[in-house]
Amino acid sequence: MIDYSLKKFVQLLITVLGVVTLVFFTLRFIPGDAASAMAGDAISGEALELLREQMGLNTPLIAQYFSYLRGLVTFDFGVTITTQLPVSDLILRAVPVTLSIAVLTILLTVTLAIPLGTLAALMAHRGQSGLDNAITGTAMVLDLMPSFWTALVFLLIFSLTLGWFPASGSVSFDNPMEYLKRIALPVLVLSVTQVATMARITRTAVLEVLSEDYVRTARAMGWSEMRVLFRHALKNAALPIVTVIGLSFGNLLNGTVIVEFIFTLPGIGNLLINGINSRDYQMVQTLIVFYALLFVIINFATDIVYRALDPRVRF
Amino acid sequence: MTQDTTNVPNRAEAPGLAIRAAGGLHRMGQGRFLANRKTRLALVILVPILALTAFAPLLPLQGPLETNLGAMMQPPSLEHPFGTDRMGRDILARTLAGVQISLLVGLSVAVLAMVAGIVLGTLAGFFGGFVDRAVMSIVDIFLAFPSLLLAIGLVAVMGTGVIPVIMAIALADVPRFIRLQRSLVLSLRSRAFIDAARTVDAPQAWLMRRHIVPNTVAPMLVAASIAAANAILVEASLSFLGLGIMPPVPSLGNIIRDGQTYLEQAWWISTLPGLVILAIAISFHFLSDGVREALDPRSRQ
Repeated sequence: MIDYSLKKFVQLLITVLGVVTLVFFTLRFIPGDAASAMAGDAISGEALELLREQMGLNTPLIAQYFSYLRGLVTFDFGVTITTQLPVSDLILRAVPVTLSIAVLTILLTVTLAIPLGTLAALMAHRGQSGLDNAITGTAMVLDLMPSFWTALVFLLIFSLTLGWFPASGSVSFDNPMEYLKRIALPVLVLSVTQVATMARITRTAVLEVLSEDYVRTARAMGWSEMRVLFRHALKNAALPIVTVIGLSFGNLLNGTVIVEFIFTLPGIGNLLINGINSRDYQMVQTLIVFYALLFVIINFATDIVYRALDPRVRF
Repeated sequence: MTQDTTNVPNRAEAPGLAIRAAGGLHRMGQGRFLANRKTRLALVILVPILALTAFAPLLPLQGPLETNLGAMMQPPSLEHPFGTDRMGRDILARTLAGVQISLLVGLSVAVLAMVAGIVLGTLAGFFGGFVDRAVMSIVDIFLAFPSLLLAIGLVAVMGTGVIPVIMAIALADVPRFIRLQRSLVLSLRSRAFIDAARTVDAPQAWLMRRHIVPNTVAPMLVAASIAAANAILVEASLSFLGLGIMPPVPSLGNIIRDGQTYLEQAWWISTLPGLVILAIAISFHFLSDGVREALDPRSRQ
């Protein structure tokens, strides 16, 4: 187990180095250079030269690369071009917003998806395909709804028409109730898609387990349906479900960008979009690396948890 | 927003599918594809949309860019089935023009990603060794990014507009296709008919062209139709975020973005084009199910 984790961890480090290198060199391929792209038509001549100097673009590429790596390791990501604030400060301030949305979404998704998926599987197993078809059909439609569109429809219904949730307003952690109210709708929107995916996977996993011999044996022994379901079926179906929670994290990160943008929440997704719009490449490159890092670490953790949960996997 | 998970089951099933569907593309010609219930359902949705899009200029609608200040923010009516926006532009006409772009993006991405995936995946799987390690380590780096975020990053570098958007989404999709193709090739490589061809000294290029690639096309097509649906959703998301196709060129994403400001006064601007995206995405998914079921004898209905 330790050996395996170490091996995976080394792979993770190599991937991260690859990510960092890819992002660095891709940005160097922008026509012109990062400074003129950032400046647009606004500045030229000496001012542009000064900006180049400031961004270290006049040193050799390889030296730039190493000073960039050094910066990453020491959490010095430079300052933003527009406001001259340290990029790391801005990101640190935005991370809690994004993470709170992501974590609440996962919690809500698991609470809704596992019962729904199990119910669909039970119905399918008993040959009552009516309700199963209804659940799986709805899940497919929800899964394919573009999340920005879902967000607007929910905004229209729950905020503007029914007035249940605020559509905008300030966001601060000082008032937790207000904060929860503010992020409730974004979390709901993200959960809709996630529930669909996870309910589908749960259904498949549970359905598969239900037709196993040991479940039939358990039934034959006269155990109650509930006991069979919880003790035998769900326990064994948990493995693929855990994996999907991990795998769907990428989708979740994609989704947070969209809802932060729509609901004007000051998370890292909003930071990214603003960074691109103001051509703040310092910010954009740091954030893209940050997202990849988050995603890779979650995948690594999922992998380890999977191995730890499954007694059949030996090293 | 489904690209990260929807491909997972396909990847797992794919090697088996390749073998079962070996030499199986022609089965589609035997009418199984068209006889499939899901295919027909997909066509019932898709054909009217395609027809409306193709014949949009013949419809009694104003042009997608034409403004009419006498008819601003009109709710849906016979004259304007999807209503009008703040400049009096007809939303249905704009939506149909957006669908054209969506389909162009979806098909281009699917074709580009599939072709690149077949070429690189075959090389990696067939030759193994250094080629495999080189290709796959780059694939791993690309797969370290959440897909929409990779597309956002690429668009940030390449700029906005139809071509950069197609390139960005295709580039973000290629690694998945490489991985699928490689796993298909690996499972084929050890099969008896390949060994047989090897024993008679068949040239490698011929072997790949004649025996390997044709047997991987079916599952790659299934993946491609899902990729097309995803590309349509990603393009819409990028345009919605203001990073994809820019106004005045209508795209489903930027029409919905336009409507966001007027959600309360004019709900139709944002909601109706979204239904069209949803319908297209659903029909592409049914289409991919149809292809899979037609090619996989085990799932005969």
